[in-house]
Amino acid sequence: MTEPEVTHADADALLKAQKRRNVWLAFALVAFVVIVGVTTAIRIQETDFSGGDRLYFSGYLDEAEKEAADREAEARYEAFRAEEAARAARLETDNE
Amino acid sequence: MSADMIANPAQPRLATARDYLELLKPRIMVLVVFTALAGLIAASSISGIAVNPVLAAVAILAVALGAGAAGAINMWYDADIDAVMSRTATRPIPAGAVPRDEALTLGLIMSAVSILLMWIASNMLAAGLLALSIVYYGWFYTMVLKRRTAQNIVIGGAAGAFPPVIGWAVVTGTTPLDAWLLFAIIFFWTPPHFWALSLVAHKDYKKAGVPMLPVTNGAAVTRQQILIYTLLLTPVGVSPLLTGLGGALYGAVAIGLSAVFLYYAGVIWQSRAGDADAGAAERKLAMKTFAFSILYLFGLFAALIFEHGFGLYISIGGIG
Repeated sequence: MTEPEVTHADADALLKAQKRRNVWLAFALVAFVVIVGVTTAIRIQETDFSGGDRLYFSGYLDEAEKEAADREAEARYEAFRAEEAARAARLETDNE
Repeated sequence: MSADMIANPAQPRLATARDYLELLKPRIMVLVVFTALAGLIAASSISGIAVNPVLAAVAILAVALGAGAAGAINMWYDADIDAVMSRTATRPIPAGAVPRDEALTLGLIMSAVSILLMWIASNMLAAGLLALSIVYYGWFYTMVLKRRTAQNIVIGGAAGAFPPVIGWAVVTGTTPLDAWLLFAIIFFWTPPHFWALSLVAHKDYKKAGVPMLPVTNGAAVTRQQILIYTLLLTPVGVSPLLTGLGGALYGAVAIGLSAVFLYYAGVIWQSRAGDADAGAAERKLAMKTFAFSILYLFGLFAALIFEHGFGLYISIGGIG
């Protein structure tokens, strides 16, 4: 098979067509990046990070260990609140 | 023969944006997007799950890109027979506008992009179903079935039936019975739709060596099969009424359009459409049946969109 002869006019037209295609490809790539970026942002906004499906490392590898630590913190807070209430009651009694 | 025709097309020309668009089979893309959108809207309405509209739009875009990718792969593989058939000889590859390898590259890249976008925007099930539908059409139908069996359209019809299931999976992450009813409607609709066209284009298929039913079994068998599949389609078309997927509007549209489709199937069965001595009137009848089949599918899915997307749903007591 012999290659068809390419004239100057053909070469110019081919180059123009190629440049046009490159511009469209660039647009497509930018559109892809924008779509992926927007989609990711929406997905992150809609994600509930408080449960077991959180994306970021919470400092605990063991879920049971984390729950125990949470319970201890809650107990400490309850004790603090009770102490505060008792102190307020004592102050009230002293004032009377 | 055919390879030479592609390597040395009669008058090679520079590709335009329109050629690349045509490579993606835009008419099929519109139908695919429409049915996927119907699945998505119905799923959202029935499950009560609201999808972020931007994510839904990205998911629909992914479906469109996936359909286009499958179309480009199909055109890459079928370039040899497209060059032989008068109906398809002006397609971008046989016309010498787009190199064959470029079509394949475009198809493969678009496949990957569409699946990735679907996964990011929705879930793995929807992305998996999209991948399956692309492989089903681009490989199983195009490369395995089309040139081997007269049942190519029947089995291959599943490829076009996936979009509403994908749309449903985008919303719920599941594929319940209702989604598969929509799948079944398109599956049973595909044979009478394509066979009506093949009654007109059977000489082209014969020339290209594609074993379409009129080529392998004759026009009379094809006309009979059109009637049989339309009879099968009718109960499937109204079945969404039983599960509650379709309401009063859907019921009216489905029953009306099914009656007309059955009428066309009956008339074509009695006719000589596709026969060697068939005249212009028979050709016109086959083309009218083909055109009506498109209206039928659009009507059914449009009714679902109106009912579930615009609050027009009036229950008529489904068992679902």
